[in-house]
Amino acid sequence: MGANFWSRLRHLPRDARDTLFHLLVIGWTVLPHLLHLPAWCAAMAGGVLAWRGRLALTGGPLPSRWLVSGLLVLAAGLTVWRERALLGKEAGVTMLVVLLALKTLELRARRDALVVFFLGFFLVLTHFLYSQSLGTGLWMLVALWGLLTALVLAHMPVGKPALAQASAVAVRAAALGLPVMVVMFLLFPRIGPLWGLPQDAVGRTGLSGSMQLGGVAQLANDDSVALRVRFFGTPPRPEQMYFRGPVLSTFDGREWTRLVPTVPVAQRPRAEFLLDGAPLRYEMTVEPSRLPLLPLLEATPEREGAAPSLPGYLVTLRPDAQWQTDRPLGERLRFEASAWLQHRHGPFESTLGLRDLVDLPAGFNPRTMEWAAALRARPEYAQADAPTLVAAVLRHIRAGSFTYTLEPGSYGRHAVDEFWLDRKLGFCEHFAAAFVVVMRTMDVPSRIVTGYQGSDPQPLDGYWIVRQSHAHAWAEYWVEGRGWIRVDPTAAVAPERVQRGRSLQPTPGLVAGAMRGIDPALAQQLRAQWEAINNRWNQWVLNYSRARQFSLLEQLGFERPSWQDLAKLLVLLLSLASLGGAAWAWWDRRRQDPWQRLQALVQRRLARVGVTVQAHDPPRARASRVREVLGLRGQALAELLDALDRQRYGGAPPGSPQRGWWRAFTAAARALPGELRVDGSAGLATRGRR
Amino acid sequence: MSIAHPHPNPLPRAGEGAGSTRRTLRQRIERWWQSRLPTTDSWALGQRNIYILPTRAGLAFALTLLVMLLASINYQLNLGYALTFLLAGAGLVSMHMTHGTLRGLTLHLRPTQAVFAGDAAMLEVVIHNPGRPRHGLAVFFHERGGSGCSFAWCDVPAGGHETVHVSLVPEHRGWHPVPMLVVETVFPFGLFRAWTLWRPAARVLAWPRPEQPAPPLPASDASAGEEPEAQAGAGGELDGVRPWRRGDSMRQVAWKKVARSGELVSRETTATRQNELWLGWAAAHGGDAEQRLSRLAAWVQAAHQAGLACGLRLPGVELPPGLGDAHRRAALDQLARWG
Repeated sequence: MGANFWSRLRHLPRDARDTLFHLLVIGWTVLPHLLHLPAWCAAMAGGVLAWRGRLALTGGPLPSRWLVSGLLVLAAGLTVWRERALLGKEAGVTMLVVLLALKTLELRARRDALVVFFLGFFLVLTHFLYSQSLGTGLWMLVALWGLLTALVLAHMPVGKPALAQASAVAVRAAALGLPVMVVMFLLFPRIGPLWGLPQDAVGRTGLSGSMQLGGVAQLANDDSVALRVRFFGTPPRPEQMYFRGPVLSTFDGREWTRLVPTVPVAQRPRAEFLLDGAPLRYEMTVEPSRLPLLPLLEATPEREGAAPSLPGYLVTLRPDAQWQTDRPLGERLRFEASAWLQHRHGPFESTLGLRDLVDLPAGFNPRTMEWAAALRARPEYAQADAPTLVAAVLRHIRAGSFTYTLEPGSYGRHAVDEFWLDRKLGFCEHFAAAFVVVMRTMDVPSRIVTGYQGSDPQPLDGYWIVRQSHAHAWAEYWVEGRGWIRVDPTAAVAPERVQRGRSLQPTPGLVAGAMRGIDPALAQQLRAQWEAINNRWNQWVLNYSRARQFSLLEQLGFERPSWQDLAKLLVLLLSLASLGGAAWAWWDRRRQDPWQRLQALVQRRLARVGVTVQAHDPPRARASRVREVLGLRGQALAELLDALDRQRYGGAPPGSPQRGWWRAFTAAARALPGELRVDGSAGLATRGRR
Repeated sequence: MSIAHPHPNPLPRAGEGAGSTRRTLRQRIERWWQSRLPTTDSWALGQRNIYILPTRAGLAFALTLLVMLLASINYQLNLGYALTFLLAGAGLVSMHMTHGTLRGLTLHLRPTQAVFAGDAAMLEVVIHNPGRPRHGLAVFFHERGGSGCSFAWCDVPAGGHETVHVSLVPEHRGWHPVPMLVVETVFPFGLFRAWTLWRPAARVLAWPRPEQPAPPLPASDASAGEEPEAQAGAGGELDGVRPWRRGDSMRQVAWKKVARSGELVSRETTATRQNELWLGWAAAHGGDAEQRLSRLAAWVQAAHQAGLACGLRLPGVELPPGLGDAHRRAALDQLARWG
């Protein structure tokens, strides 16, 4: 059956074969989108492609335009119903896939295919909205190869050209275009988003400027990489690896947000650092988070040489000791900075602004506040300082049968009450939030810090990988004279989360589970290898940002590179390339066969003495023509032409006496008694008609 | 060998459907441009005579790339940049490949056989290729429309040549210059169209269209008043001689005289003379000159089919009787050129 199938495939008529190949390429291009497209769209696209393939095989007639239009209207209706829009990322991709599939039903002639090609190129691009991994890149490279091959095939109208032939042409064009691509990729200025950040892109990251209980649970399932870090020196222990993100100080009962100050600027607490020991230099690569912040290792101070410097971004240290940028990170960034693992973090003296950090909304979590007040009222804590109270609360957490889980279920209005006193199930957010509520009730200034904690257990190529699943929430409380002190209530109940930096691991999916079932060691090794390759890909391809462009320019000798320099260099290189092309064309035009050039020269010279000969006449024919027209007067010319003929065709050894010959020829022509005078305009005309 | 087939609407052309004033201006410019081109039967393609412009598809491609670039900028997609620039590079290279598909080719036109007006004359264009294989060449006449239009695709193998047939239908008798030919290609991606305009020096001779239905051949008489020699010969059985003509049999040759004079002569007998047919201007009476020529052409054809040696006598032109295809062609050529 197999052999039969292949022979049938090989003997398909050309149109059917081309159409099938084209459909295959479209199917390949659409396939990865099925992961996130609505089911109806996947079914419709698959159905239409299969139908078109069947029509190509059986040679049946294509459906009428009415049917195609009807399907299109149906698809648009379904899209609007599902996505509430026709534009935007999800809806746009859905419509693009449907359009592409339906357009194949109108593939009547080879030339009709052009629309499909251009839609196809755009569809390839849309995949990068979802993933720019190495795998996606390779998959799309195959798709691009297929599309270009089909495009070439559509422009080979004669016979039945082999697919390999068309493919070779496509590959040749792409390979020759590679230098253009590399130059433009390196030098095209990376400018920011043109019309603001696409809204639908936000939310890919685990961190945000606010927190509601439950938000981090979704994040734990996201295994993608948040950042990579390489240490120049002894790497910190996992429990020292705190990457500081948004600091949440204001609580309205439901949501934790950044501090909303109620006091004048002068009285607000400011970030001060007392640093101890040697700094730890590190290099960090941050994935595009679309948040205006850098999750730096604690504590990275605002100090010359220690603070990160990012060309194109304004990076500042907030009063809550979090590093922020002036605009969201839309690109992968690489930079170096220094952190002091041993540090103290001020303010060290009390200011009025600290009152904001003991504020709690009325009417929320009353039972927890009662519990805390009761604890504070115990005789042994009557004179207790803040660290003693913290120790007592942590002791309560350890002893109080709390459970660290990723699936605590949903909590209601008094979420902290329910967690702290009733269900006692939760993850870092719950512990941090409850801890801060308790501390504030006991009049200790405290706040929640979000960020990443820990990393993958082993570095790859020297890079420690921090994933979105390492997202964490911890707490800080303030003591006069000592400043802010970090406390991680989660460690009290689940020390391994902090000490080993282990990320939250949900139950493995079907494929991952099967992989582990085979051979854990092998699976891990494969995974490590893959991560290493992927890291290189990220470092050298995806990480290529404006900062890297500027450093490239610096290497090329630009003192203070700007994007104008990039544009100038790009234009310069492209102009040079065009000039080179023009020079080649000029040279190629001149690059005539010497014999043909001589023939043309002779033809023109003869025309000036009134003898018209054809370009392809051999010299002997020209000789007889000269005798015919000029008679005896042209005898010298005719003899020279005969000699040339003998030299060319008479089996004489190949040499090049042509220069001397030409001199003799022009001399003979000039010696003609009645040579026609040639004025400038005639010369011009001759040149124009060469 | 060749692939020639009529093609209703071969390639999209830019600028169609412009206003009439623009069109006349355009036509003028085109005519001026064409008149600058030399007429030649051998056309070598190089930088000077290959023109190249983006097609509509090429412009659409550029637009697609622009949209892709905007998307890459807005979503900061480095792979999007890579894809866009790769396509841009391939598109630029395709421009050179399109141009290179024509560059270096040499076109020749084989001598064309004469045809009757209204019939298709097959022009054989030979494309010589000294270099790598060429694909997707289209050969057609520059002037579209009318009945004398044809279109052919071909590939040319590396270092070889390919013959392409395009047909031309001359409307009336006489010499027709071969109209300007276009050889063009959009290979490989269809983003650019490279073409050359070639004015072949060759001419096509069109014989008069044979009258249909034609009246029967005039009687094979020797007594037509306008033929003095025939009158003289009608009286006796004189065996005259005349120079040998194509179609005379060996037995007709007067060998003795040949031996004496060294020239090939034939005996002219009554019998042969009776098989001779003079087709004269007067016999084809009725109608204007062109109608007479049409009738004569039909008679020449009929006489040839009947195996009759016919001579042609037109005002100012006389073709002695003869037989065979060459004679038929000679007679028709005379008719075509007359006047």
